[in-house]
Amino acid sequence: MAELQAEKLSFGRRNFSLQIDSLRIVAGEKVAVMGENGCGKSTLLQLLCGLLSPTAGVVRYNGNNLDELLMARRAKLFSLLPQLSEVIFPFSVYEVVLFGRFPHCSGNSFSRQDDEKTRLLLARLDLLDFSQRPFNQLSGGEQRRVMLARVLNQQAEIIYLDEPNASLDIRHTLDIFALLSARPETVIAPVHDINLAYRFFERFLFLKQGRLLADVARKDVTPELLKETYGVQVTTGTAVFQFHH
Amino acid sequence: MKRWLWVAFVIALCAACLMGATAINPLNMTAVEHDILLNLRLPRVLFGAVIGAMLGLSGSVYQLTLKNPLADSFTTGAASSAALGAILAISFGAPAPLVPCCALVTGLLGLTLVYRLSLTNGFINPVTMILAGIVMNIVASAVISFSKYFFEESISSIVFWLMGGFFIVSWGRLLVCALVFLVVYLSFRQRALHLNLLALDECSAQTMGVNVPRLRSFAFVAATLLVAIAVSYTGIIGFVGLIVPHIARSLFGSDMRHNLLYSSLLGALLLVIADAVARVIIPGGAELPVGIITALLGGIFFLYLLQTRRERFWHG
Repeated sequence: MAELQAEKLSFGRRNFSLQIDSLRIVAGEKVAVMGENGCGKSTLLQLLCGLLSPTAGVVRYNGNNLDELLMARRAKLFSLLPQLSEVIFPFSVYEVVLFGRFPHCSGNSFSRQDDEKTRLLLARLDLLDFSQRPFNQLSGGEQRRVMLARVLNQQAEIIYLDEPNASLDIRHTLDIFALLSARPETVIAPVHDINLAYRFFERFLFLKQGRLLADVARKDVTPELLKETYGVQVTTGTAVFQFHH
Repeated sequence: MKRWLWVAFVIALCAACLMGATAINPLNMTAVEHDILLNLRLPRVLFGAVIGAMLGLSGSVYQLTLKNPLADSFTTGAASSAALGAILAISFGAPAPLVPCCALVTGLLGLTLVYRLSLTNGFINPVTMILAGIVMNIVASAVISFSKYFFEESISSIVFWLMGGFFIVSWGRLLVCALVFLVVYLSFRQRALHLNLLALDECSAQTMGVNVPRLRSFAFVAATLLVAIAVSYTGIIGFVGLIVPHIARSLFGSDMRHNLLYSSLLGALLLVIADAVARVIIPGGAELPVGIITALLGGIFFLYLLQTRRERFWHG
C-alpha cells in the first residue's frame, strides 16, 4: 500500500499561492480536505497528482519522487475524480467505466477479468440499467456516479476525489460514502458538506487561503476550528433532518 | 455490416475504373482501352482511395485530439497551411521530395497556432477553434493565390491547389502515399486504446496513465503528415475527414479501435465515388476538381452537424 509524503510544497499563480510545509498520509487513511471556495483544495489535489508542477518542494509516494515515476506507475498508485469531467463522442457508460481498467491491461485490449470487474462495479453503483446508454445523455448526478465507478475500477492505492458528492442525491451520497469508508484504499477528498464529512472521514485537513490551518483527527474537529476556516458562526446539535443509509 | 462495407468498397473501386471520359466495357476491350484501364484509371482510382483513407484517418484523429466534432484537416487550417508550404517550396524551386516536408512544417505551424488560440484554461473552446481555422484558411488561400500570380500567372494551378484534384498520378506517388498511410495507420492502431482516453478530460486521462501532451503531440504530427502528403500531391480536398468519422462512429461506435479503420475505409470509399462523379459529370470529357464535390457534400454535412449539435456545441 502507498504512503504519501509532501514536503515544503509551494505553488504560486497570479494572486493565489499554496504552501504546505509537511504532509504525510499513510495507507488506508480517509482524509477530508475542508475549506472555502478557492482556498486551494483542487490545486492541492492537482499538485499531489502531478497535474501541476510545484514551484518548490517535493511529493513522494513510498519514498519515490513523483517526478521520477512513469505515467503507467502513477496510474497504479493513484486515481483522480476531477471536479469537471467530460467525454466527447457517444461512448457508452460501460465503455467509460471499462476505461478505468486501462492501467492494468496489456497490449490493445481489455481482458475478460476487466469486463467482470466493470460489471460488478456497475451493479454496485446502481448503474447496470443504463450501462449501454451514451454517457453524454445521462443527467449530471448519473454522470458523476459513472465517473466514480471509472475511478474505483482503476484500483489505485490512493483515490483522490474532488467533491465526490457534488450533484448526487442524498441516497447515492450516503451509499457512496459508506462504500468508500469500507474500502481499504486511501481516500483523499475535498468535501463541502461538513456533517457528511464528519460522519465518514477520520482525518481532516483545514485549508485557508492556501495555508494548512489544521490537520486533525475527527475528535479534534471543533466549532471554533470550523468558525475560523469558514468565517461563520457554528453551533452543534441543531440538525433538522438526519439521514441514514 | 462490416462485410458489406468492404464489398461496397470493392464494387466502387471496380466501377470507378470503368467510368470516365471513355466508358470501358471489361468484356470487350480494345488495346487502347486496355492501356487506359491499366495505366491511367487503375492508378488514379487507387490513388483516390489512398488519399481518401489518409484524409479520413486524419479527420478521425483531429476530431478526437481537438475534442471537436467539426474538426478535420480543412476546418483546422492544417490543409491550407500545408498547401502554403508546398507552394512556397515549389515557387522557390525546392526539389520534389522536399515539398511534402515543407508542407508538413507549415501544416504543423498552422495547426499549432489554431490549437493555441482556441485553448483557454486547459480547455479547447470549439467555437474559437473553428473561427481560428477559418481565418487560417483565408490567409493561407490569399498567400497561395498571391504567390501563384506572382510566380507564374497561372489560374489553373490556383484552382488545382484550392479545389484539389487528381491531375498528376504516378505509381511512384501512389506507393509513397500507400506506405505513409500504412505506417501512420499502424502506429495509431497500436495506440488505439490510449487514443480512446483522449476523449476524456485531460486530468482524468493523465491520471489514468496516458502521457497526454506527448500522445497529443504525436497525434498532431502523424495526422498532419498524412495531410501534408495528401495536399502536396492533390491540393486541398476539404471535408472528407469531417464527414466519415461521424458515419463510422454511428455505424460502429466511438471506440478508436474500430473508428481508425472505418474512418479510413469510408474516406477511401467517399473519395473514389466523388472522383468518379467528378470525371463524368461534365459531358465531353472535361474534369471537375474533386474538391468541389467534397466541399458541396461537406458543407451540407457541416450545417447538419451545427443544427443537431448546436446546443452542446456552444455551451460545452
